Amino acid sequence: MKFGWSKAVLLACVIALMSAPAYAKTIKIACASPFSGPAAAYGDNVKAGVTMKVEEINAAGGIGGAQVEVVWMDELCDPKEANTVASKIARDEEIVGIVGHLCSSAHLAALPTYTRTGIAAISPTATNVAISDQNKDRKGLVWSFRDVYRDDFQGKFLARYAKEVLNVTKVAVFYENNDYGIGLKDAFVGEAKALGLSIVGEEAYVKGTPDFTPQLTKLKAAEPDGIFLSGYYNEGALIASQAKKIGLDVLKFGADGFDNMDYIKLAGDAAEGTYITTPFLASEAGPEAQKFLADFKARYNRDVDYMSANAYDAAGILLLAIEKAGADRAKIREYMAGMNSPEKGYTGVSGLTYFDEHGDAQKPAFVKVVKNGEMLPAQQLK
Amino acid sequence: MLEQLLPQLVNGLTLGVIYALIAVGYTMVYGVIELINFAHGEVYMFGAFLCVTFITAVGMPFYLAIVAAMLCCAAIGMFLDLVAYKPLRKAPRLAALITAIGMSIFLQNLAMVIWGSRPLPFVQEAVPAYLNETALSFSGVYLTWLQLFIFGVTTTMMIGLMLIITRTRIGTAMRALAQNKTAASLMGINVNFVIAFTFALGSAMGAVAGILVSVYYNSLYPTMGYVAGVKAFAAAVLGGIGSVPGAMLGGIVLGVAEALGAGYVSSLYRDGVAYAVMIAVIIFRPSGLLGKAVIDKA
Repeated sequence: MKFGWSKAVLLACVIALMSAPAYAKTIKIACASPFSGPAAAYGDNVKAGVTMKVEEINAAGGIGGAQVEVVWMDELCDPKEANTVASKIARDEEIVGIVGHLCSSAHLAALPTYTRTGIAAISPTATNVAISDQNKDRKGLVWSFRDVYRDDFQGKFLARYAKEVLNVTKVAVFYENNDYGIGLKDAFVGEAKALGLSIVGEEAYVKGTPDFTPQLTKLKAAEPDGIFLSGYYNEGALIASQAKKIGLDVLKFGADGFDNMDYIKLAGDAAEGTYITTPFLASEAGPEAQKFLADFKARYNRDVDYMSANAYDAAGILLLAIEKAGADRAKIREYMAGMNSPEKGYTGVSGLTYFDEHGDAQKPAFVKVVKNGEMLPAQQLK
Repeated sequence: MLEQLLPQLVNGLTLGVIYALIAVGYTMVYGVIELINFAHGEVYMFGAFLCVTFITAVGMPFYLAIVAAMLCCAAIGMFLDLVAYKPLRKAPRLAALITAIGMSIFLQNLAMVIWGSRPLPFVQEAVPAYLNETALSFSGVYLTWLQLFIFGVTTTMMIGLMLIITRTRIGTAMRALAQNKTAASLMGINVNFVIAFTFALGSAMGAVAGILVSVYYNSLYPTMGYVAGVKAFAAAVLGGIGSVPGAMLGGIVLGVAEALGAGYVSSLYRDGVAYAVMIAVIIFRPSGLLGKAVIDKA
């Protein structure tokens, strides 16, 4: 009899343990970005934004009582790794949605897996044009969304800005040899030529090299009055300071890849007078955004860049979809695809986001300029 | 076209002497124990980070911080040998090679844990101001004092290294080891000590290269050792792996080839041109520019 009692107690314990997860239920989402390797600094920005959103929601009681858990997936901004990571995410049935990828090249490589297995991804930063056509499955359903504008929009915008506001005529182009740098450059060059600007030189660089003087020396010989830098701020800062060193002191402008205070920190004086387009301008953002800016600064001891702001909003959109549609991959996609008009959109710190039929966000571009070591709003193009 | 030649040559030379400084570390270790130390690029990266840390956290002046970073990197080099390579001395060479790659990844991630993944600017306030001023300017060439400093430091270090190798007892022991390890130990040479010394010397020079690069470009990041390491390895092979003057020449040739390749062929083929030069040399001179054709110890 005694033996039976202890058995019953043991059984009760086992039942209690097994049922415990039902109370502490979690909702899993993945965040796929480079967290190590040469692009880790950019992944760090995305991680900061997503972390803040998720912690906020968890602190407010989670979604329907369940806490949100983020599975961080490091893909090194490398298409091969992105492919592996994508299959890993698709196989893990507990993961219901993805924030990522950061790099266009990685996002493109992961897309076939997402469309085939039916899991929705929202990228905060991938701007390459090709994504719009490759994010659909056989039935034409869109599985990847992005909370950022496309390269062609930004490139064309920059060309118009260069002509109408910056008044340059002879432009040199220095671009990073990847999907982002080339896509942006092609859009810029096409529009610039149509507007009558002359492109006096086009040079490329590869991520990871610290020395850009050979290319800059060549561009200097072409005597441009403006230089368009199509790439990210890490290399951009080196380019700006090396250009100054060799006496190539002309007007510089770049796209959202430059929107980070590290650009000024690394380039110092050489950053002065650089024009930058961005989807996120703190001074144009509403009161909710101002709170985010302050919280971010307090927590990470640095200023918000557009990557963090977009990642914060992208996580917000995904979690809203989970809240409304439930933790079901297909329904989450359906909900996000339904956010297709300003009324059904999502208002985050970067403004209103809604998607067109390709899953692309409709967002305005703002222009900033570096002045006295700060990024200030520049004259906007109407 | 021609007006570019001089500035491009200067660009290439600055890059080249730094490659040479790293390549020497590869080539010395290879000369002594026939191991390609793939973690050497990471020692170079640690040199830069340690120097910045000594300046910011300890408050050392610039030149003292360089010396302190060199000493620390020498210790890291010896530690690498002790932990990763010494236990594998008698193992097949492939095992040591894989360990080297493993150590490289380990050190890179360790740096990311300690200093974070975001690139840091070099502490410009600590760098003597004159270094950033233009020293010479002629026909489109701008030479800063920093560039002259880089040339000066590398030349001094190379001469010092050659003196150590040719004029001192430990240098003689290193050369003896390179000839035949067993025979050297039979002659009473403390093999493990000489190997540790080689690692220390190469690592200290790598640290200087890392510091010079991070001051020159005003940027340091945990993955900076990878590309530098690959280039320096190519330079060592180009010069004839195992030969110290070869590594110096190889570094300079590679740096100049890269700059001219980027300037005259296409910037996208920049690395391609550098490696094409290396491959061409190896095809026509399999032992490298200054390497001697060795009959394999069978």
